[in-house]
Amino acid sequence: MQPEKQLTEKESLDLIAMMINKAKDSYHDTGIGAIMWGTIIAVCSLVKLAEIHFEFKLPFDIYWLTILAVVPQIFITIREKKERKVKSYDEIYMDYLWLAFGISIFLMIFITSAVFNVWEPVAAEYTQLAGHRPAFKFREFIAPLFLLLYGIPTFVTGAACKFKPMLWGGLLCWVCCIITVFTTIKIDLLLTAFSAVVAWLIPGIIMEKEYRKAKKGLATANV
Amino acid sequence: MFKDLDPILHSQLRLAIMSLLISVKEAEFTFIREKTNSTAGNLSVQIQKLKEAGYIDVAKQFKDNYPLTVCKITKQGIKAFEEYVGNLQSYLGKG
Repeated sequence: MQPEKQLTEKESLDLIAMMINKAKDSYHDTGIGAIMWGTIIAVCSLVKLAEIHFEFKLPFDIYWLTILAVVPQIFITIREKKERKVKSYDEIYMDYLWLAFGISIFLMIFITSAVFNVWEPVAAEYTQLAGHRPAFKFREFIAPLFLLLYGIPTFVTGAACKFKPMLWGGLLCWVCCIITVFTTIKIDLLLTAFSAVVAWLIPGIIMEKEYRKAKKGLATANV
Repeated sequence: MFKDLDPILHSQLRLAIMSLLISVKEAEFTFIREKTNSTAGNLSVQIQKLKEAGYIDVAKQFKDNYPLTVCKITKQGIKAFEEYVGNLQSYLGKG
């Protein structure tokens, strides 16, 4: 590009449009975070399903994996930020959106645990008096609440980044959210695992492939 | 009446730099060089001119012990760019 080349009005506008498009095309998510969380949520749900179906119990709650996964997520975020040569406005909004999602998930865990702790003694007393467990099972209403939350950042990211796999993934989370209101805990866990695979794991793999392709293209262009 | 186009912006490389920076919060020197396909020397000179005009802010930092130059458009730069685009459009509209 020549520094002092005088442009016609049309050339100037074309150049502006071209550079704005280049700037927009500059950000590619590595997809590693989406792959990791898609896998973890799917594995946790399927292990929990196996525990219920085959009537065994692990010495620890499998969902502790989600807490442990926060550590590698912090490292992934720091590394990705270091590698970025440009900071776009979209990225900043997306970072805040996913941070808000993470906070909401932990608040939801806190709320459901608090409700469960109140509900369990009531259910035990009912069982003692009536001779059978109450028909209402609080556990069966936990999955829809989490699926509701899963859908929000996934749908917004898909729509804002024009990335259809995530957009459809977000919608699927909400469809599963409605279904799980009416299904048993086993089906709830199966649908949660399915949602995690469709909303995060598969889009993550696609993003990772696109990121590698973009990186390769950039390296070739710089040769 | 047609207004004169801003001479600072009406050059290929400086306009390319400003068009990139208007779309992002901030960008590293290497990113701008990649996207504009310019040489480091040329780019440094043009960035300096834009900085002197008050259109961009240039921050020198260090990343992993390597010097790092980060550029960011200023409010004055945004105003000048918008005015420039408006003038271009009026030229093309009335031309």
